[in-house]
Amino acid sequence: MSRRPAGPMQKFWAVFRREYLERIQSRWYIFATIAGPVFFGSVITAPQIFTRKAHPSADVSHIIILDATRTDLGTRIAKALQGGPQSDSLPTALRPEVRSVLPAAIKSAQDAATAEIVHQGWIGYLVVDSAAMAGADVYYAGRNGSSVQDINRLTAAVRRSILAQRLEAVGLDPARIRALTDVRVEINADRITDAGRGGSAELSTIFAYLVAFTLYTMIVLYGNVILRAVVDEKSNRVAEVVVASVSPDTLLAGKVFGVSSVAVTQVLLWVVMSGIVYKTRGPLLHLFNLEIPAIPFPSITAMSVLALVAFWVLGFLCYAALFAGMGAIVTNQEDATQAALPVTMLVVLAVVLVVPTLLDPNSTIARVSSWFPFTAPIIMPVRMSVTQVSTFEVAATLVGVALACWGSTWIAARLYRVGLLMYGKRPSLRELGRWISQAS
Amino acid sequence: MAAALELSHVTKRFDGHVAVRDLSLTVPAGAVYGLLGPNGAGKTTTIRMLLNVIEPDDGEIRIFGASNRTPNIIDRVGYLPEERGLYKKMQVKRVLRFLAELKGIPGKEADKRIQEWLDRFGLITAERNWGDAKVDELSRGMQQKVQFIGTLIHDPELVLLDEPFSGLDPINAQALKDTVLDLRKRGRTVIFSTHLMDNAERLCDSVCIIANGQKVLDGEVTAVRDAHSGRSVALGFLTHPSEAVVDVLRDRTLVLRADDSNRSAEVELAQGADPQVLLRRLVEAGAQLERFELVRSSLHQIFLETVGANGVEPGVIGDE
Repeated sequence: MSRRPAGPMQKFWAVFRREYLERIQSRWYIFATIAGPVFFGSVITAPQIFTRKAHPSADVSHIIILDATRTDLGTRIAKALQGGPQSDSLPTALRPEVRSVLPAAIKSAQDAATAEIVHQGWIGYLVVDSAAMAGADVYYAGRNGSSVQDINRLTAAVRRSILAQRLEAVGLDPARIRALTDVRVEINADRITDAGRGGSAELSTIFAYLVAFTLYTMIVLYGNVILRAVVDEKSNRVAEVVVASVSPDTLLAGKVFGVSSVAVTQVLLWVVMSGIVYKTRGPLLHLFNLEIPAIPFPSITAMSVLALVAFWVLGFLCYAALFAGMGAIVTNQEDATQAALPVTMLVVLAVVLVVPTLLDPNSTIARVSSWFPFTAPIIMPVRMSVTQVSTFEVAATLVGVALACWGSTWIAARLYRVGLLMYGKRPSLRELGRWISQAS
Repeated sequence: MAAALELSHVTKRFDGHVAVRDLSLTVPAGAVYGLLGPNGAGKTTTIRMLLNVIEPDDGEIRIFGASNRTPNIIDRVGYLPEERGLYKKMQVKRVLRFLAELKGIPGKEADKRIQEWLDRFGLITAERNWGDAKVDELSRGMQQKVQFIGTLIHDPELVLLDEPFSGLDPINAQALKDTVLDLRKRGRTVIFSTHLMDNAERLCDSVCIIANGQKVLDGEVTAVRDAHSGRSVALGFLTHPSEAVVDVLRDRTLVLRADDSNRSAEVELAQGADPQVLLRRLVEAGAQLERFELVRSSLHQIFLETVGANGVEPGVIGDE
């Protein structure tokens, strides 16, 4: 008889191969693999293209300036907003309008300006009075009142104008003042870590977000694939035949690793495709008559890449096992989504914490959520990208995630062993507890 | 001949009830063995324990002399579950190759066997090779065939069929019977559970009747039937029986129950009654007999007698 003894390893590979090959050859997978980067690419670049088109922002200039200083400060600000006296490039319709008002009439002038903003397309109004000349705050109200970028531009223009005004008051030549005060410095921020310069801070944030977002997408997407696969096997009753040939543990392992490899393959293909597009972007962009932008990469050390991959893989496996366990306790697809809700909530919690972590990567909430094993795979890489995290902290968190991974697999295996051949009513929490404690 | 399967004192409890209680049985190698019992008697639990899918709380299970927990021993077993199913979106060939690989058959060898089996079961026709189709393109009957191929693809020495006849159309049922007999001819051991006594009686060498998780009786079919036979007599009359003859049949010292249908009757003898005495009394009463036959009980009758005697009704066991 040509039968070779099949150890658990051969059986694992048989399960693994089936999960991997069947999925990777599906039309939907091939489509998603190719369409994914196109979709993400357009989601990321489209807003950038639109904002770049709108630059320089004419909006900031299209304001009413209520000048109660009885000087020409308002006019100066208007000129500064238009890009200085040298470039009078803005169309008249978008230029600021300066209105001299008496200090006592500011209130009514504001009301009038508000009405004009509401009905006539002005963006906002700025109030400057003698207090402003003395260095106190100025007031601005407008549709773009919450735009950090716009307010920064306004502030710079006002400051420059007040400075020029003061210098003129002490007798400096207006031409020299203009030359001296026309300074437009922008800060390009870099990040410094123990390893030295860490590259562009903005890029780090984008990179961190990308890592978190990819892992989140993959967990939710492929977690549900595993969930469905297990429930399918159960509701199709294939499980009956399969567990008579292979232990539930081996089946679970084959399934989790098989589906995980499908996800990893997809990410790798995406990376390779991005690499090819990056390399060949010259001729490609030339085709559209566009210049080649320099795309600097954030410099990251080999160690942190290793840690990143470890977080990614362990985090993914951890969740994949949990999803499989949840699949084993239900009988049909309708119940499956509900059963998986607690697991999905954990992932969502991690994603919700991404923004607070980006804003203040060293806050208590950022630190704690980067240690908690179920949020760590997403939050720790984010923190590592935007701030300095000690090697010990990273290592300790990795150990925690690995332990959680082991724990989830242990629980999932037990749920799997008992649940795979159980049909009917969804078990209560107490019954689940008994499954876990009794499964041998 | 060595035993293909031995169960000794196997017990399995689930929350609050005993599914299988102190079950011992021996299945000789090369036999066709029937595991009979009403729904919920513990047949499926027993089969799952044999397959080491669930562990017994007590007792020991040996397959071909080795514990069923010995690595790879289950690879020598083929299993057709009662609830059948295949991966619906997968190609038939690939499903079968997967099932073969799980039993340690290398891919190439598996492909060869799949071809043979598909051919044998008429799944390769002039118009179409159904092996290339996806499972959900197949009719129900075809899917049953594929499932059956999956059970036998690794040429198992012991074949476990759980309620194999349920849901089969007559043609597939016949194909299954033929295959079972063919397996027996090739020295394989076949165990099947069923509650259809006709099939069991025709196919099995030995049977075990279980009810309420306990063994009621077991042994070779002929021995079981002999042990439960001779208590009933089939009568045929040439003319309508006279009143005197009917009086004999009403004698409770001789006859427990008579199922009278005009010129023939099924008679169940009373405890300790001698059929020869009944014959003499009938002749004395002037009966004109066409037929007097000591009937061997069918498995169906034996099943009803033994399981009924335990107060077991199909479908109520196991609910507690």
